[in-house]
Parts: sequence; C-alpha cells; structure tokens
Amino acid sequence: MLSRSSRPQASSFKLRASIRGLRFAVCGFWLVFCACEWDFWAIATRPTVEDRVRENLSGEPPAHGPVSVNPDSFRFAVFGDPQIGHDYRSSLARFTQETADRHIDFFCALGDLTNDATPDEVDSIKAQLDRVGIPYYATIGNHDLFQTDGWQRFKENYGPSCYPVVIANRIKLIFLDTADGTLGPTQFDWFESELQDSRFTKVVLTHFPVFDGDRPIMWRLASDAERVKVQSLLERYEVFAWCAGHIHGLRHTQVDSVHYLTCGAMAPGTLDYGNPGYLLFTFANDSLSWQFVELN
Amino acid sequence: MLATAQADISPFPLLKIDAGVSFNLFQNIGLGAAGFGLGAVILRSSGLTFRLAGQHQQWNDWNAGENRWLLAMEAGPLYGFDAGAGLVRRVPVFGDEYRSPLVWSSGAAEWNFLYRLRWKFIQRENWWLRAGLSSYDRFTAHNPQQLPIEADGAYRLKDNLELVGLVSSAIVGLSGGLASFHEIEFDIGVRRAF
Repeated sequence: MLSRSSRPQASSFKLRASIRGLRFAVCGFWLVFCACEWDFWAIATRPTVEDRVRENLSGEPPAHGPVSVNPDSFRFAVFGDPQIGHDYRSSLARFTQETADRHIDFFCALGDLTNDATPDEVDSIKAQLDRVGIPYYATIGNHDLFQTDGWQRFKENYGPSCYPVVIANRIKLIFLDTADGTLGPTQFDWFESELQDSRFTKVVLTHFPVFDGDRPIMWRLASDAERVKVQSLLERYEVFAWCAGHIHGLRHTQVDSVHYLTCGAMAPGTLDYGNPGYLLFTFANDSLSWQFVELN
Repeated sequence: MLATAQADISPFPLLKIDAGVSFNLFQNIGLGAAGFGLGAVILRSSGLTFRLAGQHQQWNDWNAGENRWLLAMEAGPLYGFDAGAGLVRRVPVFGDEYRSPLVWSSGAAEWNFLYRLRWKFIQRENWWLRAGLSSYDRFTAHNPQQLPIEADGAYRLKDNLELVGLVSSAIVGLSGGLASFHEIEFDIGVRRAF
C-alpha cells in the first residue's frame, strides 16, 4: 500500500509513461503521413456530405436522364468497388463480355471506382467503364472522395453523387452519397421525399451498407440514429432493395420485404467474400428480381 | 437535445440499481430513451460487477425505436481505472409498435460487443477528471462502427451536490486506415447524493 509521501512519485511515473507514449504515437503518425501520397490538408478540407448534396440538388452538375429500355422486360447490373490502383487492373473486361451474353441494358457502379483517385487512375477507370459499351450510372465511394480533389474529379466525370432515375416508368433508382459513411440531414430530407412516390418499384444504390445481418461486420453507416431512420423509411415506403458496395463480396439479408445487399465487387485480388461478381436485376412480368453472377 | 433524469440506488452493499429517462426537446420531441439496470457485485475489492440492463430508445418523428438487452462484466475503480466488457442485443422496431419496450423480435436485430476503459487521471478534494472509451451508457449502446471517446468530470458545489459535465465524440471507422470524427456532444448537469 502506498504511503502518502509515495503518491506523488507514482503520479509522476504515469506522466512520464504518457509522454513517452505520445512521442511514439506522433512518430508513428509522422511515418504514416510520409509514406502516403495523400494531401492530408486537402482531404481534411474536402466538401462535406452537406456541401456535396446541396451542390447536387442545385442542379450542378446536371442530373442523369433515364436510359431507353424495353419497358416490359429489361436487365441491369449493379456492382461496387472496381477500386483500380497503380496497375489499373479490374474485372471489367470480363464484365463487358457478360453484358452481351446476358443482354444487360445498363449498369450501376457503387463507388470506390479507384483506390487513390489520382488523375491517371480516374482517367483509366473512366475509360474502362466507357469501354463496356452500355449506359451506366455511378455514385461516389470513400476511396474516390478522401483524396486530393476527389469530389471535383468525381463530378467532372460522372455528375452528381445523389440523384433519382426512373427507368421506363417502372422502377426508380435512388442513388445516395454515403462516401463519408453518413447521409446528413439535407440528403435525408431529399431521400424521404423521393421515397414518397408510390408509382414505382424503388431500389436504393449507394456505397455504404446499412444492415448486415445478426452478427454484422464493422463497415456500415456509423450513426445509430441514421441506421434506424434509414431502415424505418425503407420499410415504410416498401423499398425493394438497399444495394451497397464497400464490402468486397456478396452479402444478403432480408428484413420483411426489404433486401439488404452488398452487391459484389470488381476489385482485383482477394476479396472479403467469394469471387468478383455483380448483381443482375431483371424486370419482367411487372416484377423485379435479382441474382448474383460470379465472374469466374 | 436531451434532458435526462437519472438515479442510482444501492439498497444492499452487493446490489446496484440504476434507472434513467430522457426526453428530446427539439427533434423527435417527447420521450427519447429509458434505461434500467441491475448490478450484482461479485468481488468488492476490485469492484467486479455483473450487470444486466435494458434500454428502450425511440425516435418519434420516424416511427422507429430500438430495444436493447445489455450484459456486461465491469470492474473498478482500481488505481483510477474502470473497465467493462459485454454484449448487447439490439432490436430495432419500426411502425406502429415503435413505442413499445416489449417487442423483442425483429428481422433487423443484431448482436454487438460492448467495451469500456476509463481513467480518472485527476482526483482532488473538490473535483476530478476522467477520460477514456465507452461504447455504452445508461441510454445508449453504440454500434461497432464507432470508437466512442469521452472526457467527464465533476466539481463539488456543496456537501452532497456536484456539478457534472461530459464531452464525447467517436472515431468512426470508414475503411482500413481511414477514419473521421463523429459529432461532438456536450452534457452538463447536477448530481445529488441522498
């Protein structure tokens, strides 16, 4: 047991230990900073989700129009995370063949198009997506955003990051910007107003998952309140599916009528789950269905 | 913004009871959350306590609620440290039944881990300061995307009356090596011992 006189010594020992720990931490961070090519100041001062959503809703950049399809029967593919890096590799060449074989009308890419959003990577993925040869829609992921000029480069190439598209007066695709792992109040209000239209089957497409089953993995929307609110809206407005990327692989859970999907990834190399692949949605006989297609 | 009322009772030396209720004042106006906990002290020297708690939280504007059971082992304070670890079963409730604390099945239910490690690093006669991590409290169980950090303290105003304050936020994991800060929350109140 410590005597009264020994207590200050114990306190000063703790203080020394803390300063040593702090030095290690500062050195560690400094090494990490030096090892990265990131411009941390630019990342820290990036537009927030509120800034980006307000810009999107102001009409600049202009929203995408609907693609032309057979209104009675059409197909579209959804995938996330091509995440091409310095070697510009992805699985998109194999996907290009799939679009012809399976008569896919258009596709949706759910963010993390590049790993570091360097100008070369941005140019390369844009060229690879264009080379698929069918119309497509895209939204932004954290790897696209958390880089120097990430938002600027994304919107110059793909337009807005949150927007609705109605396909053939049958289905409504609602793209959300969750690149920060959050929706924010302005996007929430806009999202709810878009959901209120009951004429269409609704599919939400974004980067971050919201629900991942009974024992979830870590990478989802971070706010407890936002997740509960999103799930209550999806149920109230009878949304068909929440499709997300971010996690590299297929995950599927169903709560009542809502499908929660992480849709497979086109990323090169080892994935979190399974092999590269995509979700194939088919609209026929007035109903929408989905299947996962693995790219072997 | 929340207004809360909380009570801690220890009717026997080895039993701790805590309860609380909170109200939302500006958004989701009305009852915000309620919590009730029982703690059985297993080892008095280390403060080792088995804790079982129930929580109900609701968001009135969204017709959404969440019921939770928490099981945790807690220890301390020991050399200024207190710690806890456990599990929470969270059961979101949507639609008409969202106000009910009795709904315990949902397709959207999930298990999450709980953890706590705090250090009371300054203790003076009339005031103290503490800092650390805590993924749960009387009204909340954070999800695993957040690494909640907090600093709290108290200042004794009178013999049985303390001014208490808490500032908290969370480091939010976005991806490997990429994180951002959650919103910062401030709490202030008074605590009276009877």
